Amino acid sequence: MAWIYVMLAGVVEIFWVIGLRYSVSVVQWLGTVVAIILSFYFIIKATEKLPAGTVYAVFTGIGSTGIVLMDYLFFDAELSLAKLLLIGLIVTGVIGLKMTSAPRPEEVSHTKEPS
Amino acid sequence: MAWVFLVLASFGEIFGVISLNLYVRQKTFPRLALVGITFGLGFLFLSQAMQEIPMSTAYAIWTGLGAAGAVLTGILFFGESAGWKRLLFLGCIIAGAVGLKWMD
Repeated sequence: MAWIYVMLAGVVEIFWVIGLRYSVSVVQWLGTVVAIILSFYFIIKATEKLPAGTVYAVFTGIGSTGIVLMDYLFFDAELSLAKLLLIGLIVTGVIGLKMTSAPRPEEVSHTKEPS
Repeated sequence: MAWVFLVLASFGEIFGVISLNLYVRQKTFPRLALVGITFGLGFLFLSQAMQEIPMSTAYAIWTGLGAAGAVLTGILFFGESAGWKRLLFLGCIIAGAVGLKWMD
C-alpha cells in the first residue's frame, strides 16, 4: 500500500506542475492547489511505512520523467539529447542525495524498514 | 527574469523544508503559517518561471536546487556529514542546472 502512495504522489505531482504552467481559470488554479496538497499528503503517508530517502528518490524519478514525457507528448516541447542528459544528470544527483541522506532522529521514530 | 524567478522558487522550497522541520518540532500556528507562506511563494515563483522556461527544464532545476539547498543547509547548519558521495551528487545537480541554463 505504501508504494501505491509513492506512485500516486508522483502522478499528482505531474498534474500540479502542468497546472502551475497552464492554469487560467479559477477552477484550474483550485485543482492545482488541491493537487499540491494531495502530493504532500501521499508523500507523508508513504514515509510512514517506507524510508524517507527511498520514497523521495522514487518520487523524484516518477515526477521528472513524467513531466518530460508530458511536455514532449502534449505540449510540443523541443527535446534534444543534450537536454535529456542534463535533466538526467540533475535527477541522478537528487536521487543520490536522497539515498545518502541519513534520516533525522525524529524521522527514525516513525519510519519502518519495508518488510 | 525567468531564471531569477526559478532560483527564488528553489529558495522557497529550501525555506519550506526548513519551516516544515521547525513545525514538526513544535506544532504552533505561526510555524504552520510559515510553512504555507514559504512553499506558497515557491510555487508562485515556479509558475512565473515556467511561463518562459520549458516545464521539464524548470521542474528539473527547481527539484535539483531544492534538494541541493536542503543538503547544503544540513551540512552547513545542522552538522550533517559531507562525504565525497554527497558532494559528487551536489556537483551533478549544479552541472546539470548550469548546462541547461547555458543551452537556453
